[in-house]
Amino acid sequence: MPGPNKNSKPHLAAGCRWAEANGPERMLMFPEGALRLQGTGREILERCDGQRSIREIIDELQAQYKTGDSGRIEQEVSKFLESLQQKRIVDF
Amino acid sequence: MLPTPLALIAEITHRCPLHCVYCSNPLEMQKAAVELPTEDWLRVFREAGKLGVLHLHLTGGEPLARTDLTELIVGARAAGLYVNLITSGIGLTEPRLAALVEAGLEHIQLSFQDSREAEANEFAGTRTHAYKLQLSRIIRQFKIAFTVNVVVHRQNLDHLVDIIAMAEELGPDRLEIANVQYYGWALRNRDLLLPTRLQVEESQRTVAEAEERLRGRMRIDFTAPDYYARYPKACMGGWGRRLLLLDPAGQVLPCHAAGVIPGMQFDNIREHPLDWIWRESAAFQRFRGKDWMPEPCRSCDRRTEDFGGCRCQAFLLTGDAAATDPVCTLAPTHIVVEQALKQIGSDGVLSSIPTLPANWIYRPNPGTAPE
Repeated sequence: MPGPNKNSKPHLAAGCRWAEANGPERMLMFPEGALRLQGTGREILERCDGQRSIREIIDELQAQYKTGDSGRIEQEVSKFLESLQQKRIVDF
Repeated sequence: MLPTPLALIAEITHRCPLHCVYCSNPLEMQKAAVELPTEDWLRVFREAGKLGVLHLHLTGGEPLARTDLTELIVGARAAGLYVNLITSGIGLTEPRLAALVEAGLEHIQLSFQDSREAEANEFAGTRTHAYKLQLSRIIRQFKIAFTVNVVVHRQNLDHLVDIIAMAEELGPDRLEIANVQYYGWALRNRDLLLPTRLQVEESQRTVAEAEERLRGRMRIDFTAPDYYARYPKACMGGWGRRLLLLDPAGQVLPCHAAGVIPGMQFDNIREHPLDWIWRESAAFQRFRGKDWMPEPCRSCDRRTEDFGGCRCQAFLLTGDAAATDPVCTLAPTHIVVEQALKQIGSDGVLSSIPTLPANWIYRPNPGTAPE
């Protein structure tokens, strides 16, 4: 399987979904586990809709967090998505 | 503070077309006549959702033996639960799977007994391996998470490279390689199942290599045999701390094997709400927390990590359910584990492994005598 590049369009893997309940943190359900997400983690995963590319997700977050270090956001997004791919939560 | 249970394991039936020599069901199984009706299961799922349970693991026996499985899945999803089906696949066809997925099934965990057909059928006591291979191809066509589960032991650990290759070809999201745990049926067959030290070490290398190679493609979860561990496993994440198990008749247990502990009384969902059983029933309070712990657990730094290990294993191997799990190298009774390993020649070479056929004790169907 080719690793993700900036044009890859991440989406939730089969058998992974958001829990119904909503609040300041959201729960992502997957086989044998769940992730409580808030802040940037949630912002990133909510954009993994199979429509946006990784490049677009990074651009959107950089625009949203204008005060942030844009290089760091890029790195954070890539690292986060890669770790979720290894857990079979995100596919590209 | 009282913990919230994360998962409910629902043994919806003990009926099963397989007779695996390491089955996790109790030696005394519940008969079909005492199984909970559909409406009781649906109520339990609603109560579980309210209690904060996230995952439902539908298992058995063979859960497909229940004709109301579709209805149970619909009800569980309506209760907000994530639905996993743990199955041998026997009884599953493409149309039935389509109906289960339509009902809301999210994850299917299909068991294999080996990569080699003759051996797989021998461990299962039935000819089912070929069907499982066919079924995997059907499962892969559906948009659900797919786990291949293989239970490993002395008789098949040497095939681990082939087992991983088989899984790669079937293409699941996740491969679970679980060493046999020695309770019930597996304990009866322990002398045939317990792997050697060399096998365990070799299997760890094989798994590490495969994990590296398959990263991002297939996740591998490996459970090592605790007889070779330095410290015990955190059994069920701690007694009455993370998990609830319902048996087919509605008894609520803290784990699969708790029925072996003498004097335990399990409350039934027909008589009490799930919430009360979790919070207040004697069975769930019996080994919850740290107050029951003996030394060396009580003053051990690891007591909040492994919770003293497994209560059922402590009872089965030492006769005392409140003893430190004897697999722990710090346990005063650790010698019983060393003796079990010595008995099978655990330090011997691979070629000392006895050849099949062996004198297995097979798990029968509920209400029938062992073969």
